[in-house]
Amino acid sequence: MVSPRDRVSPVRPSIVPAARALILCVEQDPHIRELESYFLDQAGFVVQFVDDGAQALELARALEPSIILTEILVPGLDGLALCRQLKATPETRGIPVVVFSMLAAETRAREAGADAFLKKPLAENRLVQVVRDLLNPSRPSAATGLP
Amino acid sequence: MSGTGEGLSRVSTGSAGADLILGGGFPANSINIIMGEPGTGKTLFAQQLALYNADGDRPILYLTTLSEPLAKVITYLQQTAFHDEDKIGTSVRYEDLGAALVEQGVGAMVSRMREAIRRDSPKIIIVDSFKAVHDLSSSPAEMRRLIADLAGLLSAYDTTTFLVGEYSEDEIARYPEFAVADGIVEFGRRKRASSDERYLRISKLRGASYREGTHGFRITSGGLQFYPRLVSPQFPSEYAQAGERISSGVAGLDPLLGGGLWRGTCTLVAGPTGSGKTTCALQFCIEGLRHGEPCLYLNFQENPTQLGQLIRSLGGGLHERAGPAPLWHTMYSSPVELQIDSLIGEAFGLIRDAGIQRVAVDGIGDLLLASGDPQRVHDYLYALTQHFARNGISSLLTYETRMALEAGRERLTEELRFSGLTDCIILLDLEISGSFRRTARVLKARNSAHSLDRREMEITASGIRIT
Repeated sequence: MVSPRDRVSPVRPSIVPAARALILCVEQDPHIRELESYFLDQAGFVVQFVDDGAQALELARALEPSIILTEILVPGLDGLALCRQLKATPETRGIPVVVFSMLAAETRAREAGADAFLKKPLAENRLVQVVRDLLNPSRPSAATGLP
Repeated sequence: MSGTGEGLSRVSTGSAGADLILGGGFPANSINIIMGEPGTGKTLFAQQLALYNADGDRPILYLTTLSEPLAKVITYLQQTAFHDEDKIGTSVRYEDLGAALVEQGVGAMVSRMREAIRRDSPKIIIVDSFKAVHDLSSSPAEMRRLIADLAGLLSAYDTTTFLVGEYSEDEIARYPEFAVADGIVEFGRRKRASSDERYLRISKLRGASYREGTHGFRITSGGLQFYPRLVSPQFPSEYAQAGERISSGVAGLDPLLGGGLWRGTCTLVAGPTGSGKTTCALQFCIEGLRHGEPCLYLNFQENPTQLGQLIRSLGGGLHERAGPAPLWHTMYSSPVELQIDSLIGEAFGLIRDAGIQRVAVDGIGDLLLASGDPQRVHDYLYALTQHFARNGISSLLTYETRMALEAGRERLTEELRFSGLTDCIILLDLEISGSFRRTARVLKARNSAHSLDRREMEITASGIRIT
């Protein structure tokens, strides 16, 4: 559920490319993957999937995605640990992280440094809106209440 | 859809009674099975839910399969008072999956649903009938794979699903959809004498505190009307008694009671047939009318026409007196048709709406017969009398005892089972040894210095007189 508290740290707007923004998704569920891929693609984003947090950390450095979307419950490096590591690393600190999880763990996500939290199941309006708001912090959405 | 703060959001059924039974509605994003034999009201329930939630925000998807042609579903829907022409086809979108399932196999269910999610973003998906899909499956393994795939898709997306099917109880353990279901709601119909009684039962509802047991419902032109089973409070709630005496309306009875009845208390009048219970109950209500109190007379025995003549005779037409709001209310239910949940539900509504201050229930033995479960009726009466007491309503219940050859221990035992429920017990007796003799005595009257005497009693055209 998106709330005014969803965005919990400043976002680096400089990484937003003029072309289609790349979203790195850490997700194992095939149905969530399929729906994320479809709706984010429809909204004009490029989506790259990985299975676990360690792969995401590696690709974050290599690809410099516009946003990282991660489930908490993923193998190896979990979503919260990934978030902490991303925020602790100078090269990746500015990449906005959305924790998108089946766990109701907004507080834990915020403490780990996440920029937004979304609870599953997937609601495309909320997902796309949060992504857009994080990429365009100067044009906040009334729907999400982001500043 | 309604939110509940930090808890799960709910999807209303469109019926206040059903929502109450479900603990506030179905949890959002859940997968639910609506099961029951043909003709029990499942499809009507699903249609009512669909139309109620169709608010134009995100559509409702109603998928039919092989059980009933879409044309038939729509035709019958249009006969209901709750159907809305503007919503059909727009806010509620209908699609027939039958042909696709036959041509492409059961796997088409998931692909068509995925397409629908992408295309329509439905907030509710109803499949009617889902059980029919089993008949097209080539093996149980294929069906199990389909269910796993479907559950995965429907859990991943922000939608609430209802799988409607003509399942019987023994199929719950056999069919894999029941294992993935968050909610199982059973519709049933049981024969009772010459009529049928419809009921709803929640077998499972994850994330909700629902009311257990069977709950009566009726199919009306306006849709399904549910009557949540009356639940007895676990602990009696505290309430203030009025501390005011009111007249019983029966000549000569008030002095035996130590000055009348206490307002807001419950009185049981017990006696064999012909002993004057109904007359006593009517006089109690008519006395209320004399003081401008709205009264309700609940009756399971007397024909309403005959009863009208008796009331006119006892009250001199007081019950017919015109006023800004009617004071006299009766509810009649034949013991043959009596469905306790619906009767009590309607009575509660009337008591609330009309501001009833006196209630007579004549007689509770019929409730026992209708229920067939003495403990359940005891629970009903407890909940009823607690409700009356909390709301300061004075009540009188009648109970027909067996004709006693002699006043003895057996009779008293029968009346005493209700003792804890009532504040006052009045025994009427009819002795037929030699000549007829009617008597009355007060067995119990809380907080009153009542008489223990057995008094002579006569019934005249103007009512009971105790001497």
